[in-house]
Amino acid sequence: MPEAPLKERTASAEELELLARLRAGDERAFEALVDRHYGTMLAVARTYVRSRAVAEEVVQEAWLGVLKGLDGFEARSSLATWIMRIVVNIAKTRGVREARSVPFASLAPEGEAAVERERFRGSGDAFPGHWRAYPANWNRVPEDVLHERDTLRVAMDAIAKLPPAQRTVITMRDVQGCGPDEVCAALEVSDGNQRVLLHRARSRVRAALERHFDG
Amino acid sequence: MAESHDHVSCSEVVELVTDYLERSLPPDEAALFEQHLNFCDGCAWYVDQIRTTVETVGRIDPEEVPPEVRSQLLTAFRDWKRS
Repeated sequence: MPEAPLKERTASAEELELLARLRAGDERAFEALVDRHYGTMLAVARTYVRSRAVAEEVVQEAWLGVLKGLDGFEARSSLATWIMRIVVNIAKTRGVREARSVPFASLAPEGEAAVERERFRGSGDAFPGHWRAYPANWNRVPEDVLHERDTLRVAMDAIAKLPPAQRTVITMRDVQGCGPDEVCAALEVSDGNQRVLLHRARSRVRAALERHFDG
Repeated sequence: MAESHDHVSCSEVVELVTDYLERSLPPDEAALFEQHLNFCDGCAWYVDQIRTTVETVGRIDPEEVPPEVRSQLLTAFRDWKRS
């Protein structure tokens, strides 16, 4: 009988192959899995618990959970999504013990603008909502400035200062290269909400880079 | 909320840019968005700034696995294999 189409992405062919190697006890495959997911798991754990040390414990515990569940994993979700759910479950238990409020207190404070409203013309103007002064053309920023260590440092500092949920989303999507479905599983939010968080995060990092480039 | 539905303003572009780049805008809104970029250098540069931001963040090195964690996990994997 044909299965109903799933909204969620199931395990990819590449993941199925990795899974077979893991189940066969291939250590290289396990190391590859650890390398691929460690940073993301840590970022996710840090959304739920206060300290980095506890987040690291959560990730360790999650790996034990992954091993325990490996034989029973049915590949109805992607391997990555399944791993993130394990992290979330453990992190939440620890998060409660640490008495941290639900991370989504920090989700999308209403009306936070991507760009300060003063930079657009007001409603009394002939062109309401139009830029008062255009943002700079960054194609004119020299390549070596774009690529220098300082620029990267500005972006990293801006990310570190983001509210936890925004920091997690931009880390997952733009640093680690995760898909939106992994973010939804990790933060238990809708696709629309992960986009709102990504939008806020990218907007703030852009603003930090703008201050850096334009002085 | 948009004041009219036959165009988007610059202040709307900066809020729609992520939906646009994620291909989540309905086709008619995506068309209005692109139309706006065609005649507004400011917004074209803004969208380009966001793209540069994404590229820059993409150059940040992902967190590496500390060696002691790696060896602990490998031990756990070997134990799991034996069980």
